[in-house]
Amino acid sequence: MTLGRTAGPGLRGRTAAPASRGPRGRLASAFWFLLPFALLLVVWAVVVAATGTPMRIFPQVTDVGSAIADMWASGDLLRHLGASLRRVGVGALLAVATALPFGIALGASPKLAAFFTPLLRFSVSLAGIAWIPIATLWLGYSDQAVIFIVWNAMFFALTYNALLGVQQIPIELIRAARSMGTGRLRMFWEVLLPGALPSVVTGLRIGLGYGWRGLVAAEIIASSAGLGYALFLAQKSFDTDVVIASMAIIGVLWLLMDRLVLSPLERRTVERWGMKSVVS
Amino acid sequence: MTALEISGLAKEYVDSYSGDRVTAIGEVTFTVEEGEFVSILGPSGCGKTTVLNIIAGFVEQTAGTVKVGGRVVDGPGPDRGVVFQNHALFPWKTAAFGLRMKGIPAARRREIALEHLELVGLAGFENRYPHELSGGMRQRLGVARVLANEPAVMLMDEPFASIDAQTRRKLQEDLTRVFELRRPTVFFVTHDIDEAVFLSDRVVVLSRRPSRVREIVTVDLPRPRDWQGTTALPEFREIANHITALLSEGGDREGPELTAA
Ligand SMILES: Nc1ncnc2c1ncn2[C@@H]1O[C@H](COP(=O)(O)OP(=O)(O)OP(=O)(O)O)[C@@H](O)[C@H]1O
Ligand SMILES: [Mg+2]
Repeated sequence: MTLGRTAGPGLRGRTAAPASRGPRGRLASAFWFLLPFALLLVVWAVVVAATGTPMRIFPQVTDVGSAIADMWASGDLLRHLGASLRRVGVGALLAVATALPFGIALGASPKLAAFFTPLLRFSVSLAGIAWIPIATLWLGYSDQAVIFIVWNAMFFALTYNALLGVQQIPIELIRAARSMGTGRLRMFWEVLLPGALPSVVTGLRIGLGYGWRGLVAAEIIASSAGLGYALFLAQKSFDTDVVIASMAIIGVLWLLMDRLVLSPLERRTVERWGMKSVVS
Repeated sequence: MTALEISGLAKEYVDSYSGDRVTAIGEVTFTVEEGEFVSILGPSGCGKTTVLNIIAGFVEQTAGTVKVGGRVVDGPGPDRGVVFQNHALFPWKTAAFGLRMKGIPAARRREIALEHLELVGLAGFENRYPHELSGGMRQRLGVARVLANEPAVMLMDEPFASIDAQTRRKLQEDLTRVFELRRPTVFFVTHDIDEAVFLSDRVVVLSRRPSRVREIVTVDLPRPRDWQGTTALPEFREIANHITALLSEGGDREGPELTAA
């Protein structure tokens, strides 16, 4: 267990917010978050300028900036962004909806877990990208093929982490629930799912990472829109500024997803419940 | 009425790795009447937790039967509420809502929860998560959670063992108060002789492994009890000394961590 805080009567029923949460703290945390990226940009600009690297090999920071502005102005940026986000969104939702129940069911049944674990381990190495040929064979060069790859890339990591999460729930909690007459459905929603959540969040992080990589690879091969496709198109015409711009956008989207979706989820659940020690 | 009937209970554990067999419980028979507080005492490792886990339905016995309200039990059920040594509260449920699981409407559920929180001295803490409570408060919450479910039998496995002496005293007194008020049926595991005598109507004393019932000691002390008054009674000392003697007769080096009586 984490720190057992003796709550005095004056303390409202909330975990004391970490010190970094005030308006000043928020600025400071944003500063420290952005600093490494700012440094990267400076180093990049200086190195490219100092070595006189031609645009064809690697673009200057400003070139990438104007490439992004151009993509924005032409509407390409929104079109590609929209296509990619929709595919990731649908694929991720499908993966969560299928992998969580499956993983939790496996975690709750040692027999099922023993049966499926070798298969899961085997599949993890093949998840996502390796399925692109089969996906295009089955589904053509289509949205569905890309969504299938995102789903596939996420499914195994999510399932495996949900399984581990359930197995790590203390036996006493399961016993307590059972001796309160808890039925299957409540057991899933109120005991197994929240109990597995710390591990599930890890699974989501890893899974979404795989999902994004799967998305980019699938878009390069199997579609005519999306950030991966933009990357591919620009490479064909040696527009390195657009290549790097697309890469930067993909990375920034991933960071935003983590900060706007996963971290708040974590704060509201596992941190709130004291299942993860908050280091602020 | 007999609330809990244990007859001819035996348990042999088989080590799945070495195949070794350990007879944890030789043969244990006793009953707990409705509204009675019965403790079980015995040397460490004699199988007290095993007896409780079998009654709760968490562990399967090798022989013998457990009946609750005349019905043979098989697996865990809401007729037997368990207070665990490490409280086993759900980290994701606030005090008020950690108390429910039965299909009772939300408003009524909240009422029951608040009433029981008050009973165990946790009024005003209904919006706290378990990690925001002290160890003693968590144990109180564990007791409230079980009481709120109104089980036929309350099973408690050394609920106060990991709590500092001063808080433990207070918890023991409060448990007695709640017991005298509500008269639940309680089966209580401990290896603290004073605690067993103070709380119980009867104390089942087990021998060392493979355990049998050495004696069932009746504690005929007046209620309501309070720690200072009750432990000062000469009868209290007498009973505690008698149990100490019982335990040391059968004792060996693996003996119990006894509190000096
Ligand atoms: N799951 C298990 N597998 C194998 N042996 C076990 C298992 N659980 C308990 N035992 C053995 O059964 C015996 C009784 O254990 P139990 O935990 O019931 O004792 P106890 O009286 O509660 O002890 P304590 O006072 O130390 O809590 C011990 O010798 C223990 O090693
Ligand atoms: Mg024990």
